[in-house]
Amino acid sequence: MGLRKPAPSALHPVREREHARDLPGLLEQLKNPDPSLRRWAARDLGAHAEAAAALGRALAGEREPSVREALFTSLSTLASESAAEALMPLLRSEDAALRNGAIETLAGMPQAVAPSIERLLRDPDPDVRIFTVNLLGELRHSEVNRWLGQVLAQESQVNVVAAAIEVLAETGGAAERPGLLRVRERFADDPFIGFATELALDRIEAP
Amino acid sequence: MTHPARILVVDDAATVRLYHRKLLADAGWQTDEAVNGMEALEKVVAAGPERPFDLYVVDVNMPKLDGYGFVRELRRLSPALQAPVMMVSTEAQLQDAETARQSGANCYMVKPARPAELVLSAALLLGDGTAAARAAAAHPVSGGAR
Amino acid sequence: MSHALRTPAARSPKVITDADFLKFREFFYRKTGIHFEDNKRYFVDKRLLERMAATQSDDFRSYFVGLRFERDGRELQQLVNAMTVNETYFLRESYQFDCMTRDLMDELLRQKPPGERIRIWSIPSSTGEEPYSIAMQLLERWPGIDRHEVEILSSDIDTTVLEAAQRGVYSQRSVANVPKAWLERYFSRSGNGEWTISRELVAAVEFSQVNLSDPASTRRFRDIDLIFCRNLLIYFDDVSRRAAAEALYDALRPGGFVCLGHSESMSRISSLYRVRRFADAMVYQKPLNGEAP
Repeated sequence: MGLRKPAPSALHPVREREHARDLPGLLEQLKNPDPSLRRWAARDLGAHAEAAAALGRALAGEREPSVREALFTSLSTLASESAAEALMPLLRSEDAALRNGAIETLAGMPQAVAPSIERLLRDPDPDVRIFTVNLLGELRHSEVNRWLGQVLAQESQVNVVAAAIEVLAETGGAAERPGLLRVRERFADDPFIGFATELALDRIEAP
Repeated sequence: MTHPARILVVDDAATVRLYHRKLLADAGWQTDEAVNGMEALEKVVAAGPERPFDLYVVDVNMPKLDGYGFVRELRRLSPALQAPVMMVSTEAQLQDAETARQSGANCYMVKPARPAELVLSAALLLGDGTAAARAAAAHPVSGGAR
Repeated sequence: MSHALRTPAARSPKVITDADFLKFREFFYRKTGIHFEDNKRYFVDKRLLERMAATQSDDFRSYFVGLRFERDGRELQQLVNAMTVNETYFLRESYQFDCMTRDLMDELLRQKPPGERIRIWSIPSSTGEEPYSIAMQLLERWPGIDRHEVEILSSDIDTTVLEAAQRGVYSQRSVANVPKAWLERYFSRSGNGEWTISRELVAAVEFSQVNLSDPASTRRFRDIDLIFCRNLLIYFDDVSRRAAAEALYDALRPGGFVCLGHSESMSRISSLYRVRRFADAMVYQKPLNGEAP
C-alpha cells in the first residue's frame, strides 16, 4: 500500500477515438448521442477557425450544460468575427442560459464585436443594449466615449443609462463631465442615477 | 435580533451592488456582495450555519449562474442557510414575478429599486419592525404625486 | 526670506490619487475577484508605481489606459504577479492538505470501487514543494495510506522547475513550516543550510511537462480524483482560464475534487463545478454521474 508510481504505460493511454480529430470528423461527433463525446468534439473544435458557424448552430440545439460550456469556450478561443456572428442569434434565444452565455462570451471578444456596436446599441432588447454598453468598457476604439455620450443623451431605459455611466467612470475624461451633469438633470427624479453620476464624477479627473 | 441582520447583495453590475448596499447599510444592516449566482453560493456555503445570511437580494440576469439558478440551488441547501429572497430585475413583466416565485423567491422587484421600497421590503422580510417603522416615516407613502 | 508668492508645485505625475486607487481597485476586482481594502493602499500604490516605471508610463492615467487595452494581457499578468504573494514553500495553505486527509480521501474512497487507486494531480508542480507536501501529509496524517494505493502526479510547463523538483534541494526558508519530525524523516541536511528531500519521495511522484491551456497536452490525464491547482489560474487571461478549467474538469473522475488558491474561485470561470464546504476548506467538485451541476 502507500504511494505508488503509475505504471509505465503512462498516465492514461490515449483512447483510440472512434472519430478522427479532423474537422469533418469533429463536426460529425458534435451530433453524437453521448454528451461526453460531444464535449470532446466541442473542445477540439476550438482549434479550427472554420468551425465557428457550426459551433453556434450546435449551441442552439444543445441542452447539456457541460457541452454548452465547451462550445462557448471554443468560440471564445476563436474570438473571430465569424465567432461573434455565430453568437449573435443566441442573444434572441428564449433560453436564458444561452442568452447569458452568448453575452458572456461576446463580452470576451470586444474587437470581434466592434463592427456591430452601433446596431447593437439600437437593439430593442434593453439587456442587449446593456451588454453592448459594458462591452465598450473593454473595447479599444476611438468612438467609445462618443457612443457612451450618445447613450447618456438618448437612452430611455434607466439601467442602460446606469451601465453607460459606470463605464464612463473608467473610460471618461474631463470632456465627459458635461454629459454626466446633463444626464443627472434628465433623471433628476431618480436617486440611483444621481448616485451613479456622483460616483463617475468622482472617478473622472477634474478639468 | 441580537446582531444586525446580514444581507447578501448579488448583481453583476458594480454600481447597482454599491447602491443597494449603501441603502441597506444606511438602514442599519450589514451587507456583503457577490457578482453572480455561483459566487453567491460560495459565500452562502462559506458563511455556513454559524453566520448565515438573513436576506438575499438577487439580480436575475447574471453570467455563470443567474438569479433563478441561484435560488433553486439555495433552496436545496440545508435549512440553516435558508433566508428570504428578494429578486430584482430589469423586467417588469408579470411572468417574471411568476418565475421568481416558482424558483423559490419571496418577492420580486424592478431595479433600480426606489430607496423606500427596497428598505421597507427588506425590513418586512427580515421581520425588523423598527427598521420598517423608520422607513415608513422617512418616506411616507402618498396617494398622489411624489 | 521672501514673502513672494510661491507658485504651487506642478502636480507630480508619480502619485496615485484616491480616485486613481478606486478606479484601479474596481478594475482589478472585476478582472480577478481580488478586492483590496482601504488599508492596503500603501501596498497597492507602491506596486502600481513600480509597474508604471517598468512600463515607462508618465502617469497613472496613461498606465491605466495601456493596461485596459493591451492585446496580449501581459501587463495585467505582471500586475497580478506584483499584487499577489507567489512564493512557494512546503505546506503552503496547509488547510487544504488537512482537508484532504481529514475529509476528501475518505469521501473519494466511498465513491470508488474497492482496490482502485486514488490519483492526485498537483499542477503546477513548480519546484516540487506542493507534490512532496502532499506525499508527506498522506504518509503522516492519513491512516488509510496503509491500506490503499495513491498515485501522485505532478506537472509544470517549465522543464527547469521540473528538473529542480526532481533534484529536490530546498532552502531553510522553504521548509520553515515543516514539522521537525517530518524534517528528520524525509529530508537530509546539506552543507550550506539546505535540505534535500529523500529519494523515496522523489521516486513516489510522477513528474511530467504539461501546458494546461493546450488540450493535446492534458488529454492523457483522466480519471483523476483530486487536483491541486493553486495560484495558477489567477495568472491566466479569461480565455485561457476557461480552457484550463475545462481541462481540469475533463481530467477529473465524476465526484472528483479541485482545490484552487485561497483567493481564486471557479465562480468567475466555470459553472460546471459544485462548491463543497468541509471543516478545513472549501473545494470544488465535479458532479457525480446523473447529478446536475
